[in-house]
Amino acid sequence: MKSYNLKYKIPYLLISVFISLFLVFNFCQAAILYLEPSVGSYYRGEIFIVETRIDVENECINTVEANLSFSPDILETIDFSQGNSILTLWVKSPTVEQKSGSISFIGGIPGGYCGKLSGEPGENNLLGKIIFKIKEIDEEKQTGVNFVEGSRVLLNDGFGTPAKVTTKGAIFTILTEKIGLPKDEWQKELEKDNVPPELFEIEIHQEPSIFDGKYFISFSTTDKQTGIDYYEIKEGKGDWKKVSSPYLLEDQSLQGKILVKAVDKAGNERIAEYSPLRKPFPYLMLLATIVALVIIGWIIRKLKIKK
Amino acid sequence: MIRNSFFKKTFLLILSVIFGLFIHKYNTFAANAQLHIELTPPLSCGNSIKEEGEQCDGADLDGQTCVSRGFTGGTLSCNANCTFNTNSCTSGDGGVARGGGGGGVLPPETKVILQGKAYPSSRVTILKDGKVTATIIADAQANFNLGISDITAGIWTFGVWAEDKEGRKSLTFSFTTNIISGVTTTISGIFLPPTIDLSETFLQRGETLNILGQSAPKSEISIIVNSPKIITKKTIAENDGTWFYSFDTTPLEDGSHLSWAKAISPEGLSSTFSQALSFNIGKEITGLIKESDMNDDNKVNLIDFSILLYNWGIPKNPNADLNGDGKVDLVDFSIMLYRWTG
Repeated sequence: MKSYNLKYKIPYLLISVFISLFLVFNFCQAAILYLEPSVGSYYRGEIFIVETRIDVENECINTVEANLSFSPDILETIDFSQGNSILTLWVKSPTVEQKSGSISFIGGIPGGYCGKLSGEPGENNLLGKIIFKIKEIDEEKQTGVNFVEGSRVLLNDGFGTPAKVTTKGAIFTILTEKIGLPKDEWQKELEKDNVPPELFEIEIHQEPSIFDGKYFISFSTTDKQTGIDYYEIKEGKGDWKKVSSPYLLEDQSLQGKILVKAVDKAGNERIAEYSPLRKPFPYLMLLATIVALVIIGWIIRKLKIKK
Repeated sequence: MIRNSFFKKTFLLILSVIFGLFIHKYNTFAANAQLHIELTPPLSCGNSIKEEGEQCDGADLDGQTCVSRGFTGGTLSCNANCTFNTNSCTSGDGGVARGGGGGGVLPPETKVILQGKAYPSSRVTILKDGKVTATIIADAQANFNLGISDITAGIWTFGVWAEDKEGRKSLTFSFTTNIISGVTTTISGIFLPPTIDLSETFLQRGETLNILGQSAPKSEISIIVNSPKIITKKTIAENDGTWFYSFDTTPLEDGSHLSWAKAISPEGLSSTFSQALSFNIGKEITGLIKESDMNDDNKVNLIDFSILLYNWGIPKNPNADLNGDGKVDLVDFSIMLYRWTG
């Protein structure tokens, strides 16, 4: 029978747990979701950009789910730009609910993101840009934009372990006195952008477990300036229509040309094309047919001569 | 001395959690710490001050003339990329240095150069934002050097992985950097983690487990087994980069165990850890993380992501539930991204 010597065991265990928790919390430095600028002053009618960024504090992460709130009676979210984001695969494209004042998105980085390289100039931690417009208000106010509960970051460790996350919001002072035309930072970026989205391919696949085994296409690209706005598809002689990936093809015969167009926020376009494979000309079959006909003709001629 | 097995197991479990975090933390530090980034021309180009890495800058020619550059005369100037423009220098026959005067200068190229070590003569795959952009064959010393010219300025995440001589794939080594227009960005010091394989996944205590793989030639390989007691063994890779260790499982307890490997090259480059492989002593393995290659095409890429999205929530295809918790959610997405091959 084992004897329990609790006098020795409990302190030992408590010390072990204490040291472990101390080391765990030190190892698990928080990933910080933050906004830039974090403070600012803007006038009625002005359009300005707030960047969502992440400081991974020497961790490697691969998934970010961000939920933000803003005051819908002071700010209007007129757009969200994924341009130059480190998130290149989007589970949920940026979604804005103006009435409730919420913004959310979920994206990932294949292979993970481990922060800035030593000696690298500038920052490389952009998640996305929110484009706000100040509404017509009558008095000076302060308004905040904040990350809310539900925002999370997962480690690139093969287990999807959640990172400890802290968040930093932003506070803006809204001024009522207008001086000249209101500034529009976003319009300047749109005017500067004359570069189309990056090259991409259309991938056609058929999987038993997806779309009941029918042919579908997958596609994805990025835009390093103002970001992808939408995709459109044109099957054969059909019209262009907006789509998202994965997309179930209407023409399951794969005989028609398929075009997918990626359009960025500035209207620049990049088109990817899939052309059906032309069946090779059946030279061998033609030769075999000719030979067979010659042989048949020769046999018939021989038979006629015999008669 | 701890006699009670509950306290012993609790203590060892806590140690294993800490060790797992240590592995992840080490990987994080090692991932970035030895990568070296060099910009050509340096970002200071254009401030009219000749600095390190520049031949000249604006009117500052560092005291050089056409004559000092080996010509007979003429006017030396500076290109926008801080290199000398000798188009207006004259040579011995009185002609200008380059045919067709006017001194036209090509716009500086935006380029990325990746340099590192994989496995001898291995096929190295380079990803750009998760998509395959190039493949290259490493030399006999496992070195690779690849230039990517068709690249837009902006923030890019590069991934590098290689396939060893037995067809085993390494983990993808990723890093993110800001590529600047007109600048050649050279990133060196990339050292891929070793490949790793196990001779068995289910053994009895006392049997020998062969742990093997490939790395750069003559690298020092550290093999770590989490039992949850941490056992570290070392071996040296052969001239062809292959390594092998016969591990005695006698010290291991019954249950699941994980093993990793990492390498230090003869030049002192340190790799991140390999993927973790699990094996069991005494009983069959359950609850393994499933493979992320959902369509069995030997790749983890956009198609697998499409299958994951289609099965989001309650999966129609149980293979999409990578961690076996009954739902397809962000955790499965994260597991897939870890194993991405493009």
